[in-house]
Amino acid sequence: MKFKKLTSLMLVTAVTASMLAGCGGGSNEVSSTNSTGDNSSASAGGGKTDAVESSGNENQEITEFSYFITMPGKEINDDNEIAQIIAEKTGVKVKETWLTGQTAAEATGTLVAGGEYPDFIDSDDMSVLVDAGALLPLDEYIDQYPEFKETWFTEAEWDKFRQPDGHIYWINPFGNTYGESKATTHNDEAFWIQVKVLEWAGYPDIQTLDEYFDLLESYIEANPTMEDGTENIAYTILCEDWRYFCLENAGQFLAGYPNDGSVIVNKETMTIEDYNTSEDTIKYLRKLNEEYHKGYVDPESFTQTYDEYIAKLSTGRVLGMVDQWWNFAYTVNDVFKQQGLDLKGCNYVPLGLTTERGMENRWHTYDDTVNQASGIAISVDCKDPDKAFKFLVDICMDQELHDLRFWGIEGVDYLVDDEGLFYRTDEMRKNWADTAYQAAHRCQYSYFPQWGGTHTDGKNAMKPEEQPSEFMSDMAEPLVKCFEAYGVTTYPGMIDSVVETNAEWFPMYSFSNNFTTETPGGTAWALMGECKHEWLPKVVMADDFDKGWQDYMTAYSACKPEDFLSEMQAILDTFK
Amino acid sequence: MKKVKHSIEDKVISALIGIFMVVFVVVTLYPVINTVAISFNEGIDAVRGGIYLWPRKFSLKNYDTVLAMQNLLTGAKISVARTVLGTVSSLLVNALLAYVVSRKRFLFKSQLSLFWVITMYVNGGMIPTFLLYRNLHLTNSFWVYIIPGMIGAWNMLVLRTYMNGLPDSLEESAQLDGAGYMTIFVKIISPLCKPVYATVALFVAVGQWNSWFDAMLYNRMKTEYTTLQYELMKLLSSVMQQSGSADSAKFNSAAVTPVTIRAAATVVTMAPIICLYPFLQRYFVAGLTIGGVKE
Amino acid sequence: MARTNALKKDRKITWKEIKRQKTLLIISFFVVIYGVIFYYWPLTGWLMAFQNYKPKDGLLHSKFVGLEKFQFLFSDATFLKVIRNTFCMGALNLLTTTVMAILFAILLNEIRHTLLKKTIQTVSYLPHFLSWIIVTGILHDALSSTGIINDLLLKAGIIDQAINFFAYPKYFWPIVAFANCWKETGWNAIIYLAAITSIDPCLYEAASIDGAGRLARIRYITLPGIKPTVMILLLMNVGNVLNAGFEVQYLLGNGLVQSVSQTIDIYVLKWGISQNDFSLGTAAGIFKSVVSIALIVVCNAWAKRAGEERLF
Repeated sequence: MKFKKLTSLMLVTAVTASMLAGCGGGSNEVSSTNSTGDNSSASAGGGKTDAVESSGNENQEITEFSYFITMPGKEINDDNEIAQIIAEKTGVKVKETWLTGQTAAEATGTLVAGGEYPDFIDSDDMSVLVDAGALLPLDEYIDQYPEFKETWFTEAEWDKFRQPDGHIYWINPFGNTYGESKATTHNDEAFWIQVKVLEWAGYPDIQTLDEYFDLLESYIEANPTMEDGTENIAYTILCEDWRYFCLENAGQFLAGYPNDGSVIVNKETMTIEDYNTSEDTIKYLRKLNEEYHKGYVDPESFTQTYDEYIAKLSTGRVLGMVDQWWNFAYTVNDVFKQQGLDLKGCNYVPLGLTTERGMENRWHTYDDTVNQASGIAISVDCKDPDKAFKFLVDICMDQELHDLRFWGIEGVDYLVDDEGLFYRTDEMRKNWADTAYQAAHRCQYSYFPQWGGTHTDGKNAMKPEEQPSEFMSDMAEPLVKCFEAYGVTTYPGMIDSVVETNAEWFPMYSFSNNFTTETPGGTAWALMGECKHEWLPKVVMADDFDKGWQDYMTAYSACKPEDFLSEMQAILDTFK
Repeated sequence: MKKVKHSIEDKVISALIGIFMVVFVVVTLYPVINTVAISFNEGIDAVRGGIYLWPRKFSLKNYDTVLAMQNLLTGAKISVARTVLGTVSSLLVNALLAYVVSRKRFLFKSQLSLFWVITMYVNGGMIPTFLLYRNLHLTNSFWVYIIPGMIGAWNMLVLRTYMNGLPDSLEESAQLDGAGYMTIFVKIISPLCKPVYATVALFVAVGQWNSWFDAMLYNRMKTEYTTLQYELMKLLSSVMQQSGSADSAKFNSAAVTPVTIRAAATVVTMAPIICLYPFLQRYFVAGLTIGGVKE
Repeated sequence: MARTNALKKDRKITWKEIKRQKTLLIISFFVVIYGVIFYYWPLTGWLMAFQNYKPKDGLLHSKFVGLEKFQFLFSDATFLKVIRNTFCMGALNLLTTTVMAILFAILLNEIRHTLLKKTIQTVSYLPHFLSWIIVTGILHDALSSTGIINDLLLKAGIIDQAINFFAYPKYFWPIVAFANCWKETGWNAIIYLAAITSIDPCLYEAASIDGAGRLARIRYITLPGIKPTVMILLLMNVGNVLNAGFEVQYLLGNGLVQSVSQTIDIYVLKWGISQNDFSLGTAAGIFKSVVSIALIVVCNAWAKRAGEERLF
């Protein structure tokens, strides 16, 4: 009986499968001709070098390019006003599509499997695209625009983008400064503290972790609650998912090293060191453990979600934490403003703490950080690679276009005063931040090359957020007083990091981010992350720190961190 | 009608049911009210949390943002089209299939059932499926919403179970009258299956209405086939940093996290279904009088 | 409702029978073709599990690595823990959601006031439409140290200090099960309500006349009436216990409870897909499919022996 059932089932499937095989074979053929078609058109496109002038003449006709970015982002309307103006000037309009509900790897994987590419691509997995032959080598195009080539990257920086086959396939659009740096904010990590705490203590000079916590302790003893009766929290830690950097990597900074992210580079010996097990990290965690048991560390630190964390900061009751500016400031500062809490000194300023007094610190990176791991690329399916690349260059090298992207339309989005300085009214600022207005009007083409720093006119900033007047207009009085008391004018001034040029290998995380589990080092790296995620909170909460640390180290060494470190060392050795 | 006997047991049970229902309704209604309240709250203010049953700072801005989406109308049209077409076709085919496998004399009854049961637990993965649809020219087309999901084992089995419960004598007597299988299906079985048809229709319709992944995967570059849910998802994922990374957050930092827009989008999605529901509800709440044909 | 076994004897493949069932066979034929194309053909993708799949090479040209991916999965102690988590959460969810949905459907059916009944039912399924991120957000709020649950427990004197529920692994599975019940009870009950409508009202009347109380009627009429539906849904869902989910655990989990919160899906995303390793995900998928099918085959055989409604 059973046998019969099985055979009849197999019969049914066999019949239909054979029919399908025929049909499947046919469609495979279609797909293979398709892909060869792509290749031939690609090589034709790549071979054309004389088209630069002709594409300039075609400006009247608007070409629409598609651009897929494997990051979540905001789509702009098809009839976006600034996009329209840019299209009239350049003959190019770009339809951006962002990542939705997939991981970057999945999205890239399906693109490659399907073999149909958008005109422009920016992916986290560039090497997959290169392997699949999806990208056009850009070297020849770059050479056609010498001005761009020279100003955008140095020769050494371009070389970082060269793939094993010697070609450059993508260009990182971010982190480039034109002229003098205008950075007013410290966009990176720091120990933050509320202005009111500093004011209360008479603006003391805080340099070490111990001093920082002493200050928080004494403030909270004197002011257990806010004016409205809300209990103050001395220190909180965000630990959610990838955002656990708020707990994880302070050790490297406290030791005075820059944000290489995954490891410390000892420049003298040119060796890789592990900050996870360094003395500074032990001291830092021991301090957190001590403060946790004294009750100064928020007991919900390790279970709160990002939303809860932001809500907590927004009430103004959290005195200090480690975080990166972009992770909290934009939202929290807006709420402070709306609630009038900025006038009560709730805004955060960064401190450049170290383990001992008098050490150098490198919390702030003055130099540009070039991440060679990703960037904008042109695909082999691109309709008109010459025109596409010209657009890519124009959009950042033409100041007028750059202004349209980041400042908007003069008279509508910003005004120019008698001295030629750009400024905005409150109304303009509000519009600029409005979601619906952004979709209909604003067009940043935010994953195309762009500049920070000084405008080509030498007066303004490339981006509004770096314009001094814009920055000052946002500052509440307690913040201004604080800056004055410390004799600084910008956030980086508060940290007082060493000013230096980045090492060639900086940041090391741009290498470790590309590690996969195919190598022992990559596997170790992933395991270490898991292990730290679980154990760092446990160590901070441990009743007996030394025991907790021992247990952590047992689990940690089981991940074989040495595999990871030796692979990082091998990368560093290439810079010797 | 029957007379209700008001025994003590009866009263106790009534009281218990009453308590259960009150607790249940409070617990289930709360998240919904909370979402509606947040959807009417001002965005920046909502970041502070602590909004429960009523907006703290009233604003229509969130609905403004959601309803100002550029492809809203196209998306809504496609969503309605796929919901209607998808539900009708899926119900029809699944019912037919369920009818076939619920015939007791059918030769391949269990083989065919097994064939479909297995499909519930196996999955070739995203890439092979994508390639298949591309080769069948289903990508960049509206039909990708209708054809691939048309037969679903889950729905089929629910229908089959219900049909199995109908008395065999119906089929037998009709066959004696010379009715063919199709006639029996249309004239005799289907009218009795209204409650389960309504249930399956609801499941399919909600599934169709809510799905966006297929629009994203197969029609990413085709704006004319976008769906309402995909448009909402795009809006949400652009403002939601939940699955982001340090780099994207750093460079797209202008985006705040409007929990309020998420709430408004949820309400916009829910509204049509709540409106549609009463029309289906009568089939599975009121109870059908089919007693006359029972054994 | 009793199933007649007499018909079984007729199920022999004869030309006469084939001719008689022509309509049914034609329908089956097309339906099977459809199934093969849309459900079975993509399974060629399972080859990936035995390859080091690279999208550029596709299925045909990727390098075969045999059982390496499976070895990777099962040699990792974490994966075994992940299977345990997935299985336990899946089973707990299945049990609680099924019981709650049946209980709710039956109790709702006992309400005689039609408008009230309709209203409650409408309210009950609404949480189904909320995304997990909203539900978990509210749950997080309610369970926080200042949230309503701690408030109530403190006031009732059950605890003397607020509990940080998300810091202890022991609370995690029950919280996930509760979240699932909360969101899906009303929705899952719809199908049972539909099943209840198929019960002949005369039966209730007859039982009343015989002096059966409400409990007895539920016990002897309603429950047997929906039993086939319950059985089928249970059987189908037993095969799904390893699909215990991804979002809930991801959104409610944190480093401290990581050892109990990770499910197979999360594991695959972390170690496979986000590392560009599609093969690993496929291997885990095959593992899940094999377990699922084994589970339903066993349960189906048991149902058959017990004479209950079964899947095939």
